[in-house]
Amino acid sequence: MARSDEVDIKESKMVVPLNMWVLISNFKLAYNLLRRPDGTFNRHLAEFLDRKVPANANPVDGVFSFDVIVDRETNLLSRIYRPAEGEETHVNIVDLEKPVTAEVLPVIIFFHGGSFAHSSANSAIYDTLCRRLVGICKAVVVSVNYRRAPENRYPCAYDDGWAAVKWVSSRSWLQSRKDQKVHIYLVGDSSGGNIVHHVAMRAVESGIEVLGNILLNPLFGGEGRSDSEKRLDGKYFVTIKDRDWYWRAFLPEGEDRNHPACNPFGPKGKNLEGIAFPKSLVVVAGLDLLQDWQLAYARGLEKAGQDVKLLFLEQATVGFYLLPNNEHFSPVMDEIRNFVSSDRFVG
Amino acid sequence: MGSYEQPSAGGGASSNGSSSSSGTRPAEMDGLLAGAGYKVKAAELHQVARRIERLENVMVNSAADISHLASDTVHYDPADIGSWVDTLLTELNQTVSLPCDLLELPDLPTCPLLDETTTLDNRWVVGQNDQSHHSLTPQQQQFQQLTVVTSMEENSGIRLVHMLMTCADSLQRGELALAGSLIEDMQGLLAHVNTSCGIGKVAGYFIDALSRRIFAAGTIGTGSSSSYCTGSPSEDEVLYHHYYEACPYLKFAHFTANQAILEAFNGHDCVHVIDFNLMHGLQWPALIQALALRPGGPPLLRLTGIGPPSPDGRDTLREIGLKLAELARSVNVRFAFRGVAASRLEDVKPWMLQVSPKEAVAVNSIMQLHRLLGSDPTREPAIQSVLTWIRSLNPKIMTVVEQEANHNQPRFLDRFTEALYYYSTMFDSLEACSLQPDKALAEIYIQKEICNVVCCEGSARLERHEPLAKWRDRLTEAGFRALHLGSNAFKQASMLLTLFSVEGYCVEENEGCLTLGWHSRPLIAASAWQAAPEYEVA
Repeated sequence: MARSDEVDIKESKMVVPLNMWVLISNFKLAYNLLRRPDGTFNRHLAEFLDRKVPANANPVDGVFSFDVIVDRETNLLSRIYRPAEGEETHVNIVDLEKPVTAEVLPVIIFFHGGSFAHSSANSAIYDTLCRRLVGICKAVVVSVNYRRAPENRYPCAYDDGWAAVKWVSSRSWLQSRKDQKVHIYLVGDSSGGNIVHHVAMRAVESGIEVLGNILLNPLFGGEGRSDSEKRLDGKYFVTIKDRDWYWRAFLPEGEDRNHPACNPFGPKGKNLEGIAFPKSLVVVAGLDLLQDWQLAYARGLEKAGQDVKLLFLEQATVGFYLLPNNEHFSPVMDEIRNFVSSDRFVG
Repeated sequence: MGSYEQPSAGGGASSNGSSSSSGTRPAEMDGLLAGAGYKVKAAELHQVARRIERLENVMVNSAADISHLASDTVHYDPADIGSWVDTLLTELNQTVSLPCDLLELPDLPTCPLLDETTTLDNRWVVGQNDQSHHSLTPQQQQFQQLTVVTSMEENSGIRLVHMLMTCADSLQRGELALAGSLIEDMQGLLAHVNTSCGIGKVAGYFIDALSRRIFAAGTIGTGSSSSYCTGSPSEDEVLYHHYYEACPYLKFAHFTANQAILEAFNGHDCVHVIDFNLMHGLQWPALIQALALRPGGPPLLRLTGIGPPSPDGRDTLREIGLKLAELARSVNVRFAFRGVAASRLEDVKPWMLQVSPKEAVAVNSIMQLHRLLGSDPTREPAIQSVLTWIRSLNPKIMTVVEQEANHNQPRFLDRFTEALYYYSTMFDSLEACSLQPDKALAEIYIQKEICNVVCCEGSARLERHEPLAKWRDRLTEAGFRALHLGSNAFKQASMLLTLFSVEGYCVEENEGCLTLGWHSRPLIAASAWQAAPEYEVA
């Protein structure tokens, strides 16, 4: 192997709180066991190891959740998180899909991470994150349980994301009072961030309005090896080798990493000039080896005249948003809140 | 101002003083990791981190194909990061030195129950701290949990649910006239709703159950309204069989229990299985065959089957026993059967089972324990005495499978609500298996269950399902401790589901227990237990 076999564990331990280090390292090791060299994936063990939580229609910390079947054909489920009104401790079943009463209510369609292969909408880490987003943004969150690789390659995840957007935009109970429209924001981390971009493209092409995209440490790549990949390989939980594995698992067989799914502004990418693409907030962690690709993405949007805000967090690692006990969490959540609220006070 | 949590390691202090005795609070779990589904004591973070580092070094330095090795390991309790890492360290350390060609073993052909795990260390990993699950986040308040999977498309679906709830509510408040008129309205509305799936499908059965309850209001608890709900034993057996064929719940139960029993019987030459509800003995041929093929040869197997007395002078239990004996003989397993006829489980006394001290005992309860929860205020609940005598047998293992639902809440409306969503999910799953010819009778089987939950009260209400979290507490208090069903059982169960070729079923691991559900809603939970040694039986 090209990279150094000395695992720089001490370095990663110094930049994150200990419990976060334990959490992310645990994922790293578990995921090592699940990826087979022949490209197959130990799904049974993955599901066994994944910590899941059920939906809970009783409010906990002001948020309740329930699962919906968005598409029976593909068994596509999504978990909906709503803020509880007032001090209610028990939500009447009938009120799960009660129409929203706010003048303007952001509806966040959330795509969890996991490099297209891991995690689910009901994974504990993502259930927790979505609940936080409800509280912080005063939004409804719809977390999509999209189909995963390698069993379901491109474009399944995008198809599922698109199905969810169509479903959400057609729910009358999610419409803001002000304009009888659903105010949709797409938010995702890692592979979820990648899905956000591609689903937004479909929305634009089909005329469904998406008000904004938020990409947290999005998964992008390309055939060349960027500087950041070479510099940070293996240093902060992630290796080039494992990234390559996930692209081989997701992309159509025989395709390389310049496929537009992986490299939207690469040689096979689409030109976004003149398109009514939603405004974007791109969050990049300075210790993520993919940062050069993520920065290239933000630049690509900028060059195409799109509205993009880049948030570069020098000392952040992958997964920093999973636990709140680090210095990056609050500022990022503040930015997210402002991003989805900016149309609230327009007269 | 946001709802950001305090960056502390001790945020998840156990709120449950717990009914168990002595004063020492369990050491505090790291609250943030608990929110992510992991159990790590705050004070042990450093230790766990060191073990992770060691594991990583071993993995990096191992020439072996880690994924192949590690997937043959049986994993237990993934929530406990420390012990999970240890299991792997043990596994990898002991195999790192093997010559390379031994590591290229092809995948063994799958033979359920015989897929002998290659753990070099066959120990059960027992939950270290029986109260640990109480220190999990409020999100995991399972007693109050209400898990709903819905696909309400049309307004009439929503209205129907609204009316069902209103009807149940008026019933609860004794307003029978109002409840009755709502029944009529609902029957009218039913015509406009999609009755092939979801709420529409099951609404009809609930409307039916409610009307039985209303129109028999003067006779609740006396048994006459419940006559529909509890049929004759032979009727029940027929319906049971169709339910067994039409959907995977019972098969999952049998399969998972057998796997655990097989492992518990390892190394024992005399084994005794006590089945709390023999029915047609559908669970046992697989176990008999697995024991026959056990390396080292089969043990002497005794099976004691409990069931209701048969009418007309037949001895159904004995007939089933004879069939099983024939099968055992054909595979050279020494086998003895005994039937214990009892119309209620609480009528069974341990001496009837004739347990010998030399044998390893497995107690198998598939959806029976909840029937013992009926409250008669004048005596000790039957569940207590039954659990006590089970424990006195000192079984090697007790396998328990129960419906994962909260159908025994004190308030009728709460039970009704929970049942509405539970059974609509179950009917949905049945609908997906629509090619099975047994579906119609399977639906009647489920319908009777619904009827019992909704119409009956007192001693007639037998279907008192309680969720896994409650059973954990009950069994722990009664002096049992959990044996963890591992990743091997999980994998076998998942593979069983593929036989049904229906997408939508999901097997999940839940603190050492396995649940089978539909569309993310667990519907049935399987767990394994043994007598806790420290417990003093009064």
